[in-house]
Amino acid sequence: MSTIELHGVSRWFGNVVAVNDVTMSIGPGVTGLLGPNGAGKSTLLSMMGGFLPPSSGTVTIDGVPVWRNPELYSGIGLVPETEAMFDAMTAYEFVLANARLHRVDDPASATVAALEQVELIEARDRKVGTFSKGMKQRVKMATALVHKPKVLLLDEPFNGMDPRQRLHLLELLQRLGDEGHTVLFSSHILEEVEDVAGTIEVIVAGRQAASGDFRSIRRLMTERPHQYTVTSSDNRALAAAIIADGSADAVNLTSDVLSIQASDFGRFVHALPRIARDAGIALHDVTPADESLESVFAYLVAR
Amino acid sequence: MNVVIMRLTLRALLGSRRVWILVGMAALLWIVAGLSRWGSGADVGTATGVIVNFGFGTLVPIMCLLVGTGAVAPEIEDGSIVYLLAKPVPRRTVVLSKLIVAMAVAVAFSVISIVVAAQIAGDAEGQLALSMGVASALASIAYVAVFFMIGVVSRNSIIVGLIYAMLWEGTLAGYVPGVRAVSVRQWALAPAEQIVEDNSVISIASDLPLVPAIVLLVLATVVSTIVSVQRLKVLSARVSE
Amino acid sequence: MTSQESAVTPDGVATDSVIHDIGFRHYDGPRLGRGWAFRSLFYETLRGSFGLGRPAKVKIMPWVLIVLFALPSLVMVAITILTASEELPLSYTMYPVAISLVVSLFIAGRAPYAVSRDLRDGIMPLYLSRPIRRQDYVYAKLLGLSAAVWIFVATPVTILFIGALLAKFSVKDAIFGWLGGLLMAAVLSILLTSISLVLASFTKRKGLGVAAVLSTLILLNGFVAVLVSVVDMQSSETAASYFAVLDPYMLVDGLGAAWLGVDTTFLYSQPDGALGAVYYSAVLLVVVTGCVAILLRRFKKVGGV
Repeated sequence: MSTIELHGVSRWFGNVVAVNDVTMSIGPGVTGLLGPNGAGKSTLLSMMGGFLPPSSGTVTIDGVPVWRNPELYSGIGLVPETEAMFDAMTAYEFVLANARLHRVDDPASATVAALEQVELIEARDRKVGTFSKGMKQRVKMATALVHKPKVLLLDEPFNGMDPRQRLHLLELLQRLGDEGHTVLFSSHILEEVEDVAGTIEVIVAGRQAASGDFRSIRRLMTERPHQYTVTSSDNRALAAAIIADGSADAVNLTSDVLSIQASDFGRFVHALPRIARDAGIALHDVTPADESLESVFAYLVAR
Repeated sequence: MNVVIMRLTLRALLGSRRVWILVGMAALLWIVAGLSRWGSGADVGTATGVIVNFGFGTLVPIMCLLVGTGAVAPEIEDGSIVYLLAKPVPRRTVVLSKLIVAMAVAVAFSVISIVVAAQIAGDAEGQLALSMGVASALASIAYVAVFFMIGVVSRNSIIVGLIYAMLWEGTLAGYVPGVRAVSVRQWALAPAEQIVEDNSVISIASDLPLVPAIVLLVLATVVSTIVSVQRLKVLSARVSE
Repeated sequence: MTSQESAVTPDGVATDSVIHDIGFRHYDGPRLGRGWAFRSLFYETLRGSFGLGRPAKVKIMPWVLIVLFALPSLVMVAITILTASEELPLSYTMYPVAISLVVSLFIAGRAPYAVSRDLRDGIMPLYLSRPIRRQDYVYAKLLGLSAAVWIFVATPVTILFIGALLAKFSVKDAIFGWLGGLLMAAVLSILLTSISLVLASFTKRKGLGVAAVLSTLILLNGFVAVLVSVVDMQSSETAASYFAVLDPYMLVDGLGAAWLGVDTTFLYSQPDGALGAVYYSAVLLVVVTGCVAILLRRFKKVGGV
């Protein structure tokens, strides 16, 4: 098992602070690095990948600093953002070269296995230069997987993939995470992160805005009232009953749904069934309206 | 020495349009040599002038520049060097593997171009070909090391390399004698001068005696290599602009 | 939340789909048009050649080269004044051609900046879906880069002019000499730019473009130098002068002699009488129009290279 540890890491370029005092620990499983563009995700990944030294703080994998330590790369798989590759080589040759550089035993079969994992095995003898963007991303994945590293760092890995490829890659990452690999990927596409990341790290303007499971993060946001949408057999009466009860801050009645805002969600969640039962109203649907990663993210970014 | 890197570098150097420029340059030199032969009636003195000034003084540095920078600068520029660096391979090995290939290619191109050109232009018992062939081989090794380093260090490697090769070694050296002592061209000419010492027809002059020249060639090669390795160790994620 | 409304499509079918006006402004006012777009591209190319409007790192090389190129002229001016000499060591027309290496360095660096990046990033469709046409793009780049090279070359020429005034040479001669120098600088710029852009447009890689242009210019120089001396040996100086046109610098040198009557820098670039003058001018015309034609064809395909 491998853990990536960042302690008080900052990185500045001249006057611009790209990463500001970030401390995080990334262990086995899938972690999503989330943040708006320009927030410092790529900088963080570069530092974890040993391509950028932190201006202050330490970046280590299992206690060993990554900077200037090429030996560590046997255990790290990197999917860089760069699009350029060795265009004149075929996919097979390129991944094979990477396998050999990683000193993999039996590079040929490792290459085939990696290509199969990313579903590029039919295109193995085509030149990389002729590949579409999505295929190039998959080649990059193959080079990152061919030596079966314990740590995978992926910089915007879903870029350019079509929905089916994306699904496939998500499954792959999920499986790797379940097997105990440490997988960290950066993205600003929330649906992807939501589906597969157990933990998220949110970076906004170089600072760590939040970390953990996004539902728990939502619960921690006590200053934001929770929103629910409720449909029932008699919305109007239910609305009146909720207001009378006082467990919600605001109730909004439109033609077919009730939108409810409650800061004390615990109290509200317990009160609602009781109110409905006392009023003889059947609840059809109770959905948290903003427990999506999107709204969490929006709150975090807007702070 | 890493065979994979060597193979990759060889592919990159020989597989691109760059190699056609090298071939064209060799052809150009041979045409010039042919012209010289036609114009001067295969006069060895004229041939020497053409080979030393145009061939060795202009063509060989440019060939080495293209090969030396071409072995590393394009990969740094487009970021694909990450595939070589994110591997458990010591930086020193990366640099040495690339350098060996680049030097071999440069030596091959320059020596063949010069030797054949000397034969075409007019030679005296192969002395011109031998002396300038040796000079080209030695110069190529040093030039490639220096230009490789420039390729790692600078984003405008070709222009900087040419400022060195043409402006410094060429123009300035003509005006400021001291400059000549710090020039790969002069160092490499010393062994050539040795070889044709007793030859009355071929006259090659070098500013330095043999031993210091060889020492300086070795020094330049080694120091450039060391700088390249150190620089590559701290190469950060660079995005081309 | 938006409310549902029924709408009717242009062919009279009622539908529940609605397009909402969320505030994108439609612009109906006057647009600046093709000429303005052309001018903008021209300025952008011109400014970009000196690194203006770009990060500091990009400015280093062009400015270093300008200083390098202008330095000898400053030295010459100082020497002329101090030694109370009768004339400048290098005339207004001789200077750029004599110190041609630095000019080659400058244009070899700037030509790829003008075209290779556009080709590599595949943004020709972006350009061409705007009012400018393919010809506009080519001409704007050509003129922009030529203007930059002209400014580059004109700088030391002007320094020489100021020096001449300071050294109290004849003002009339100085002015005519200077204007002549500027004219030949313009011719040199257009010629070099045409050739360089053609070479640079054949590759998407900036480094390779620089290498191609530089190798061509430097090697042509060397090759033609040998060629003309050989032709002279075999035939005559005048015959050699016909071959000198293969080197752009010699060509411009000869044109200066033909049009302005100034001395040539090189031995063999003196055109042979009226016929020679016509020949030199014709070569200039053919080369420039040929290069422009090639460029137009190169950028015909919207995808670029």
